[in-house]
Amino acid sequence: MKINKNTDCDILVIGAGLAGYIAAARAADLGLKTIQAGNSSALFLASGLFDLLGVFPIDSGKILTHPYSAIKQLQSDQIYHPYSKTTPDQIKKGFQFLASFLDSAELKYSRPGANNKQILTSLGTFKPTYMVPETFSKGCSLDEKNLLIVDFKGLRGFSARQAASGLGRKKGKIHTLTIDLPENNGSLNPVHLARSFENQEFIQRLADKLSMFSGKADIVGLPAICGIHNSLEIVKSLEKRINMDVFEIPGMPPSIPGLRLKNTFEKKLSDLNVSFLSNAKIVFHAMEKDHFILQAINDNFETRIKARGVILASGRFPGGGLFARRGIILETVFDLPVFQPKTREMWHQLNFFDAKGHQINQAGLETDNRFRPLDKTGKPAFENLYAAGSIIAHNDWTRLKSGTGVSCVSAYTAVNSFYKKHLR
Amino acid sequence: MHKTMETDVLVIGGGVTGTGIARDLSLRGVQCILIDKSDLNAGASGGNHGLLHSGARYVGSDPEAAVECKNELGILKNNAGHCIEDTGGLFIAVKGDDEKYIADFPGMCEKSGVYCKKIDPALARDMEPVLSKDIIAAYQVNDASINPFKISIENMNDAVLRGSQFLSFCKLIEFKMINHSIEYAGIINENNGETFQIKARTYVNASGAWAGMIAAMAGITINMVLSKGTLLVTSKRMTKRVINRLRKPTDGDIIVPGGVVSIIGTTSIRVDSPDHIYPTINEVDQIIDEGGRIIPDLKTCRYIRAYSGARPLVSEGKIGDDRSVSRGFTLRDHKMDGADNFITITGGKLSTYRLMSEKASDLVCWKHSIFSKCLTKEIPLPSTKSGEWSEPGMMATEPGMSKNFNDPILCECEMVPQSAIDTIVSSIKQAGGKPNLTSLALRSRIGKGPCQGAFCSLRIFSHLYDSNVLKDHSDITNLKGFLNERWKGEKSLLWGQALAQSSLKEMIHSGLFGLELIENKN
Repeated sequence: MKINKNTDCDILVIGAGLAGYIAAARAADLGLKTIQAGNSSALFLASGLFDLLGVFPIDSGKILTHPYSAIKQLQSDQIYHPYSKTTPDQIKKGFQFLASFLDSAELKYSRPGANNKQILTSLGTFKPTYMVPETFSKGCSLDEKNLLIVDFKGLRGFSARQAASGLGRKKGKIHTLTIDLPENNGSLNPVHLARSFENQEFIQRLADKLSMFSGKADIVGLPAICGIHNSLEIVKSLEKRINMDVFEIPGMPPSIPGLRLKNTFEKKLSDLNVSFLSNAKIVFHAMEKDHFILQAINDNFETRIKARGVILASGRFPGGGLFARRGIILETVFDLPVFQPKTREMWHQLNFFDAKGHQINQAGLETDNRFRPLDKTGKPAFENLYAAGSIIAHNDWTRLKSGTGVSCVSAYTAVNSFYKKHLR
Repeated sequence: MHKTMETDVLVIGGGVTGTGIARDLSLRGVQCILIDKSDLNAGASGGNHGLLHSGARYVGSDPEAAVECKNELGILKNNAGHCIEDTGGLFIAVKGDDEKYIADFPGMCEKSGVYCKKIDPALARDMEPVLSKDIIAAYQVNDASINPFKISIENMNDAVLRGSQFLSFCKLIEFKMINHSIEYAGIINENNGETFQIKARTYVNASGAWAGMIAAMAGITINMVLSKGTLLVTSKRMTKRVINRLRKPTDGDIIVPGGVVSIIGTTSIRVDSPDHIYPTINEVDQIIDEGGRIIPDLKTCRYIRAYSGARPLVSEGKIGDDRSVSRGFTLRDHKMDGADNFITITGGKLSTYRLMSEKASDLVCWKHSIFSKCLTKEIPLPSTKSGEWSEPGMMATEPGMSKNFNDPILCECEMVPQSAIDTIVSSIKQAGGKPNLTSLALRSRIGKGPCQGAFCSLRIFSHLYDSNVLKDHSDITNLKGFLNERWKGEKSLLWGQALAQSSLKEMIHSGLFGLELIENKN
């Protein structure tokens, strides 16, 4: 038997990716009664790096150092891009809110500044990004330091040699070290390994191994698995024991920095009385006066939700916010009109890495300047329905490296606009 | 001074025919070097159904080919059983299909001596529950499925064991002709740009769809007709048996099980060049719509990959439907064209590759005045370890596989462990090839499951750096090349779940790693 419940709220956030969490955080912060529904494993795929704008124009092939001046250019060239619906000031405010929210929950990030950072990835490439967890910070300025990169036997997809191969340089030595842990029986589960880092004895054993390099290396790079909770303290404690700087290197999913974000949001939001409906499918029924009537369905419960406002942060294809049939792209909760290429032939380029990106990644919802999705006539589809994150059209975030920035500014702005109206 | 290698026979083309010839000649004591501008099965040998025809498909259009298929099927089942699944097959007609062809079918089979047995449509649906309710006629036949990668790898491995050599990524650039014969072949190693020469008594052009271009280097014209066929791979196996549509051969009418998947095709589109062919959205839609007539689930199931091959057909000058050009093979002694020590074998089909290899090897031996008998009918093809991993669904837990717990699985969709990668790496090295993601992909199932390389590429790639197989950062272009190769097969099939998966791949490889920003070599 399924449990049937009724509940109401000021605002329902659909989606548990970064945009959904930021929207829920802002709503709770403003004192709104908030429900969030979504698949809570989405952040396992998030690198934990916060991008603003890393590449522009899209086919320039160049990494940007000054994102805000590029945003000005973007606002005049790409009038439909979500950044063109806001201001650099608003974008920065969004990031400041995000940073201070995480800060208050003990997950420290670098401050939102003027410039992008370039961070070494496990592939040996350099990724342009905007804000990084404090545990990554020292990896953004490797200069000509003597470097040690460490991998763990059995931790698949991370090779110290491979990461080091990207550091072609003249001065400074690069060492690599593989650690074979007694607990390794073939492959190491990254979550288990990250948990081991929370054990003092483990840290001491690791420190003993790394101490061989004291004098040879100034700084040590580790895969991003240094603890799930208190990662910054763990890194600092390791630094103290080996007397070298330590930083984490981002790599393929499952992502521990993403898991840290998820845990941090979940805990803090629950402290702020946000209720979370896990892995529920959301069905929109009707408007009752100016309230949305929706239903959240999963294997165990069916909840009828009455909400004054809705933030649609359900993502694109992986998140399930958009669904593609063989020929047409649909929005899955409200059946909103989706901006999309005219035919399936136009969805993708012949080359996966085509500099222009794939047309299908321009697909999504068109919105007004408050990020309210538009209906066929170009008017807001609902007075109090907002879109946040990757479901918004005209933003190929994988190429522009603009994912977090768009999620953050749209979620932040959307909740603020709803709040202003709600007060009236 | 250029390096010169000497050998009895230079075979050009590492498909089923070329590797089959290398083994056939090696068994007769004739030493070969086999070169391929790419790698094993990079052409039509890797771009087909993996079907061993019982012959029934050709009883109407090409009775001679039907008989060849029937005979070869018997030989291969006996001698290369480990590369074959004896699935059996059905011919199925649905409402609206040509009644005359249906009525004539058993008689035509009988004429060619091809086995077929009429069964009740209801029984056919019992045997294969996914079949359409609209069946009007059904026949049982002897089709089987074959792993074409495995058969080429095993043939080559056996030839190498017997003293022959395989050079991958070695491309023919010229034939030096002196007095109506080839003096030597000029070759470029595409891996390092070095050029060298191979001097042989006889040169065998087994380059399939490229046969016209290779022959042209000796000043000889072969009129090739290239017909592109596209095939789709479903994410699950749909039937136990091979399912053929009972009608005159046309598009989208064969579904072949291959391990844990099924392969549906094909199309026939004339192309000018065998290079850079890929499945189009039109072809995909057409195959799904036609296939859906016999197996309705094909309209809704998940597909994981599409690919194309170019059928090498030799034109006899007639114009018309490419399917009416003979699927029989062409063996030409170029003595009559002014090149005494040069032969071409092309056309034909996977089902008759052994026969083609036999006939080509007979001709070589005749030219060398060696009186020898073909042994491939009698001596079974040995099974080697590096051939095992090209088998779909071959798992670490299957009997005979290592159950070493210290063996991490690097490709989770296809359950390929690290030890298998290491085995294949050393076999590629032994054969003189360059181990990397692309050459591994031709010899194993990596990247062929639902994730289409999103995750396994990274795990295997980092393992290759870890084990010092790769060292330079510039090798990262190989990762791009591998993903782009997967992409060719995905891009026409991206909707539903598959689109979500490919978006995820883009999030990782472009969003995080920024691979699109890396410049390609050259």
